[in-house]
Amino acid sequence: MNNLVFGKYIPMDTPIHRLDPRAKIIAMLIMLVAIFIPSGFLGYLVLAIFILFTLLLAKLRFKFIIKAFKPMTFMMIFLFVINILSVKEGDLWLNLGFIEIYSEAIIDTLYIVVRLLLMIMVTTCLTATTKPLDLTLGIEYLLVPLKRFKVPAHEIAIMISLALRFIPLIIEETMRIMNSQKSRGVDFEEGKLKEKIMAILSLIVPLFSVAFQRADELANAMEARGYVPGKERTKYKLLKYHFGDFLLLAMSLSLMGAMILMNIYL
Amino acid sequence: MAITFKDLSYVYSPDMPYAFKALNHINLDIAMHKMTAIIGQTGSGKSTLVQHLNALLLPSEGELEILDHNIKANEKNKGLKMLRSKVGLVFQFSEYQLFEETILKDVSFGPKNFGQSEEEAISSAKKALKLVGLDETYYERSPLDLSGGQKRRVAIAGILAMDPEVIVLDEPTAGLDPKGSKEMMNLFKSLNKDYDKTIILVTHDNEIVYHDCDNVILMQDGKVAYTGDSKSFFEDEANWDKYDLLLPMDIMFKRELNRVGFDIKADSLNMIVDEVSKVIKHE
Repeated sequence: MNNLVFGKYIPMDTPIHRLDPRAKIIAMLIMLVAIFIPSGFLGYLVLAIFILFTLLLAKLRFKFIIKAFKPMTFMMIFLFVINILSVKEGDLWLNLGFIEIYSEAIIDTLYIVVRLLLMIMVTTCLTATTKPLDLTLGIEYLLVPLKRFKVPAHEIAIMISLALRFIPLIIEETMRIMNSQKSRGVDFEEGKLKEKIMAILSLIVPLFSVAFQRADELANAMEARGYVPGKERTKYKLLKYHFGDFLLLAMSLSLMGAMILMNIYL
Repeated sequence: MAITFKDLSYVYSPDMPYAFKALNHINLDIAMHKMTAIIGQTGSGKSTLVQHLNALLLPSEGELEILDHNIKANEKNKGLKMLRSKVGLVFQFSEYQLFEETILKDVSFGPKNFGQSEEEAISSAKKALKLVGLDETYYERSPLDLSGGQKRRVAIAGILAMDPEVIVLDEPTAGLDPKGSKEMMNLFKSLNKDYDKTIILVTHDNEIVYHDCDNVILMQDGKVAYTGDSKSFFEDEANWDKYDLLLPMDIMFKRELNRVGFDIKADSLNMIVDEVSKVIKHE
């Protein structure tokens, strides 16, 4: 679980870490849109430079970024193969008899791969520089205007932060239950399909049972401390925009504008 | 034949910056067919120690001899799965391991995993349920339907159904009321006396250690600080401050009486009361 890089927060003190989570979320969304505007390789180059500069400011190591790509390699290879087999336009670059590789296939795949990489870099930058609870706070602030459309912003935020709080506990519980069942002869690694299914059942049923019990107790504990869903609550931490946030938003908006222009004129 | 730890060490997360040596060169013998208590503060290594007994954890250094198995560090140890049917390990709050549709199915889960046929497993399950005091009315009920104490008995039955020679329990009386606690200890005492099982208990309750167990092992910071007969351990005054012990009531009573001028020699509560009443009658 600790090897999962995607989504992991790296505690450091950099200009990017200090940015307001709302600004980072909005900037990320703008960047994702910008990445998908077809603006040719020049456009991607511009985007890449900006993103890499941001990653540099956030002091994120290159090795860390490469690790974030790893889960995608299979998909990218898969896409590559699909494209080679289906796209037959452009110039014929390579003829191996049974496979004909056209230029369009390569270019299409490259476009998709580059987009994916840029997307991963942007989202990893967000999660690596923003504490999960700050992210939740940012989401809550951003959702509040939607309350007029009956979106329960505060409740969503509390649900996310509770879930985050309980992940380590549930993992611990899983280990405990696994050890209990191992002590009764369950083999979680080898065995026929039926045995594997039993093994997983012997893990999931107790886990659900415990999780529901905890949820019940937690609900009572929260109510006993005065929590009423929907009622206004004061915040412990308040978010305030600073100059850096406006700079970030301005940069991402201009990048998106640039992509649109390049799309029209190139 | 005993259970022998030879220079055994265990390190959690060995290659990480936060590696932790939970067990530090343990040399220990645990007698078979006796009731042994393992005591010590949280973090002293008790749970790590007992998880070696059924090979849930393998030693980082040293070896463990248990029931014809010789488990060595850094070796490909074979046949360890069978060890788990002979050394039954019951975790703390064991009621959380229940998952089957009926109690009978859950208790027969263990035996089935070790090769017993459906009929054999059910027969073992019924025997085990009888041992923990649950009759036929419980067979078809859902295990998740019961009270905490009853669930725990089902979980213990689930281990007893495998008919292990060694039964290891991590705080089996935690959270039980006095009556439940007494019933549980009576069960283990009977398993030890009537069925010759080796019982190993991790506990914080020194009353149980003093009254019910033959031997005691005191763990401190990953090392064995004391091992020996449990009665003499608590009765030896030198140990009281050395190990900062929370004394069993009988011994505490005697200590306090002697502190105010009595000269009590007996150790059991009844005899202490006799001596005190003799002194009072003479005044």
